[in-house]
Amino acid sequence: MVLTHTTNHSYTHPFPTVTLAFFLRYYSPQLNPFSAHVLSTDTIDSHVDPETGRLYTTRIHLKRSRMPSAIIKLLPASVTGGAGEKSSYVLENSIVDIKEGWMKTESRNLNFTGVLSVTESQHYSATPPDQADVSTLPSAVPRTMSTNTWVSTTFSYRSSLGSRKTNDKATTSEENSRGRFGWISGWGAKRIQSSIESIASNKTDDQIIKSRDGMKMVLERLRSNGVVAVLRELNRREGKSAFEA
Amino acid sequence: MSASLAPECNEVKERYDACFLKWYSEKYLRGNGKTDECANMFKDYQKCLKVALEERKIDKLLDEAREDSKDHDSVHLKRK
Repeated sequence: MVLTHTTNHSYTHPFPTVTLAFFLRYYSPQLNPFSAHVLSTDTIDSHVDPETGRLYTTRIHLKRSRMPSAIIKLLPASVTGGAGEKSSYVLENSIVDIKEGWMKTESRNLNFTGVLSVTESQHYSATPPDQADVSTLPSAVPRTMSTNTWVSTTFSYRSSLGSRKTNDKATTSEENSRGRFGWISGWGAKRIQSSIESIASNKTDDQIIKSRDGMKMVLERLRSNGVVAVLRELNRREGKSAFEA
Repeated sequence: MSASLAPECNEVKERYDACFLKWYSEKYLRGNGKTDECANMFKDYQKCLKVALEERKIDKLLDEAREDSKDHDSVHLKRK
């Protein structure tokens, strides 16, 4: 089973600034106080498609695990590693099309997938969702000139705990090993899976509000100072000069 | 400045990040970012990071994620 949860939002900032804020949102807790749980961010792929001009980026974020305690309680310590304080890796893919004025992003957890897979998909657009598909508009319209940006966010939750596929898969990740799931099977597994999915899904609103507030803080800083000034100020405070060159 | 998961890569990562953000905001967002000018810095960064990803077995997790997205959802980000 998969549980999904979709929300729509608009930012009162132009599309290019919002995409920049997306890339900057975990840059520093000084820029975004809601990013203190993000321990590291690395880019593993970044390229512009020469035909479409679209920018493809893949990043890995290490986040302090925010698996709800209600889920931790459902699971034996052998699965959660005890307190459930482990960090989790998040894979983030994004595509920006600056000409057409849209960005698509998808983030998913890389570990703990034997317990729960969470995928966050976002579609940012310079045009409101109720207007015609951007690709059908005449290309002369400067879409990115719009002062607002619309975003649709979908979270999906899938627990495959104890399922055949997870257990039979020859895999190196510790939480997927066959022996650990001897305690759970059949009807019981289904029930626990849907409990895990609904507990995680109930946390979504809180999570969306925090990440939206974080984006807004980054956006406000960019509005008042611009990116170069913002980064220079952060580096100055950290005693670095990487951005001076 | 956000850290790298591998502290030994922090320096090359910072140089790349600064380059990327400058290129992105000043070139790409203004519609003239055909090529990424940070390619050399990215190469140095990846050389360092690749080792760290292998050491932490994250490369295996990435392979599993790619395999998994073939099985399930992820029509969302398919190339058009």
